[in-house]
Amino acid sequence: MKFRTARFSLMTVAAAVALSTSPAWAQLKMGFNVPLTGFAAADGKSALDGAKLAVEQANAKGGVAGQKIELVVYDDQAVAKEAVPSATKMVDRDKVVVAVSGSYSGSTRAAASIFQNAKIPYVVAYAIHPDITLAGDYMFRVSSMGEVQGRGGAKLVQNLGKKRTVLITVKNDFGQALAAGFRDAAPKLGINIVNEYEYAMPDRQFGALVSKVKSDNPEVIYASGYFFNAGPLVSQLRAAGITVPIIGQEGYDSDKFIEIAGPASEGTLITTSLDRDSTEPATRAFLADYRKATNAGADMVAASSYTAVSVAIEGLRKTGGKGGAALRDAIAAGSYDTPIGKLVFNDLNEVKKDIQVQIVKDKAFRRHSVISDPVLLAPPTKAK
Amino acid sequence: MLAIELVAQGLIQGSIYALVALGLTLVYGLLRILHVAHAALFTLGGYVGVLVCNASGSLALGFLIAALVAGFGGVAMFRLAYQPLLSKPPYVALIASIGLFIASEEAFRIIFGAQGMSFTNPALQQQLVLGWGLQFKLAEILVMVSTASIIGVLAWLQARTRIGIACQATVSDPQMAQSFGISLLKVRDINFFVGSALAGFAGVWVALLNNLVEPTMGSVPSYKALAIIVLGGLGSVPGTLAAALLLGVIEAFGTIYLGDILDRNAIAFAFLIAVLMVRPQGLFARS
Repeated sequence: MKFRTARFSLMTVAAAVALSTSPAWAQLKMGFNVPLTGFAAADGKSALDGAKLAVEQANAKGGVAGQKIELVVYDDQAVAKEAVPSATKMVDRDKVVVAVSGSYSGSTRAAASIFQNAKIPYVVAYAIHPDITLAGDYMFRVSSMGEVQGRGGAKLVQNLGKKRTVLITVKNDFGQALAAGFRDAAPKLGINIVNEYEYAMPDRQFGALVSKVKSDNPEVIYASGYFFNAGPLVSQLRAAGITVPIIGQEGYDSDKFIEIAGPASEGTLITTSLDRDSTEPATRAFLADYRKATNAGADMVAASSYTAVSVAIEGLRKTGGKGGAALRDAIAAGSYDTPIGKLVFNDLNEVKKDIQVQIVKDKAFRRHSVISDPVLLAPPTKAK
Repeated sequence: MLAIELVAQGLIQGSIYALVALGLTLVYGLLRILHVAHAALFTLGGYVGVLVCNASGSLALGFLIAALVAGFGGVAMFRLAYQPLLSKPPYVALIASIGLFIASEEAFRIIFGAQGMSFTNPALQQQLVLGWGLQFKLAEILVMVSTASIIGVLAWLQARTRIGIACQATVSDPQMAQSFGISLLKVRDINFFVGSALAGFAGVWVALLNNLVEPTMGSVPSYKALAIIVLGGLGSVPGTLAAALLLGVIEAFGTIYLGDILDRNAIAFAFLIAVLMVRPQGLFARS
């Protein structure tokens, strides 16, 4: 109770600030739930910066049908119990025409059915749980689902010519979805999972686990987590003398990972959706604009949130600012040239796209390879 | 071989727990307050250590200033938050403590940012290869060595010096101690200072081991240290030490062999419940 009231009042303050700083003439409201406090606040900041950039750029070009877009921001702390009241407020009080999730699966899943029932399109940036798009036809996701990314990870192991793999999984929706995908693809690709471990989100000290992994003597380690887990984990694996390749995913995708793990981060591979060495104009322009706006390098979360907001805006342009079924159909029918690739939604409103493999080289993420396998990486479709 | 490594990793973790839990048990022994906000001083120490070390390039200075700042922070918490509440029932101070802890987490986030901070040039990262496949970071070894020496010195001070004996007297009978001319306020200040300085010191070690300090880094220690002092028999210094090391080792093995059924951070409490069923007074309490 104590926790709830303290956090809750912070949330309302944050929301009030967001509302009061937005210009009075703004007319088209876009809801945005994002973790600005709590354990995921670092990702939340990237997400908000990416979303703001997309809105500013659209408004600078005159907005949509003569109306400016206003981002209505709610802090959901990446937890379900905060997401529900936020989503309800967006629907009932703010009357948003469209909403975007810049948050994790836990809160996004909880908000999804509220937007679905209100017939408000909800574009999800980087939450990867399968249930989100299953909530209904108003749900859209611009990133690959966890299982798909997990299968991509297995493909990468095969591409590296390795077999004996140890799985280290962060115990939440994200980690478990990745592990499920990896396990699913492993036998088809001749990969042998020697051992599997799970750890909890607050863990930073992996001493015991590292000792055990060392005795497993794997050829490659597939470890999920966020940069705040992965930084210490990779550094501790290397400190124990383990030199085999380590494969991470989108959660590692932050310069902060390289800063924390230091020299130990060199050579770490990640499967993600942002290619820093891309030659695509949309990606190059985004990377440059983001740096100019925030004075920091973009990460996957920023790029995905920027993309999700852009997709929503593109839909609004087509409907002339109208929401509801018209907007749903407009978003579903569009094709989008975004910093994370060319996106087209399938019948479940999931996207099919290549997986970018980045490697840490000289303290930066650089292109390693691209995994392109339309069969293995196919997103799920509507249950027939 | 794996068993030896797991014991070593357990002792490293246990040393950190010991440093944090010691301050908590000192406060409980003295004032019967469950000082949850103690973990905020652990975080504060981590931040100060990183900031000072990055600015000055000296890790030793980082440790020193972190311990001092955390120490004075602890005294300030006592004077401003707990002292005015001493006449109230203990849960009032507990509520204040939880409030302080939540407020500090958010204050760290607002002041230092949500992203956390790292050392620009983390020290003590050299590898020590001990043979038989055993390999440790220098920092890991030094955590154990420094914890053992600091606690040794403190134990000696408490047994041999006037102020140490005054502390012991105050714990066992505050009124009697006062009638012998011991200043309760001074003893309490010193206790908070020493306990909090140890937490700050531990914060710098954790910052070094993970190369990361974050606003929420105190959240796990805040409750785990409570379990440790209960295990150790509330207020008993040697009991707390033993419980901290034991828990470190049990967690190391538990993570590997019980990981499928029990979360690492739940092991402390499962162990606590098991112990309390057999010995309600804690593992190491006298009666």
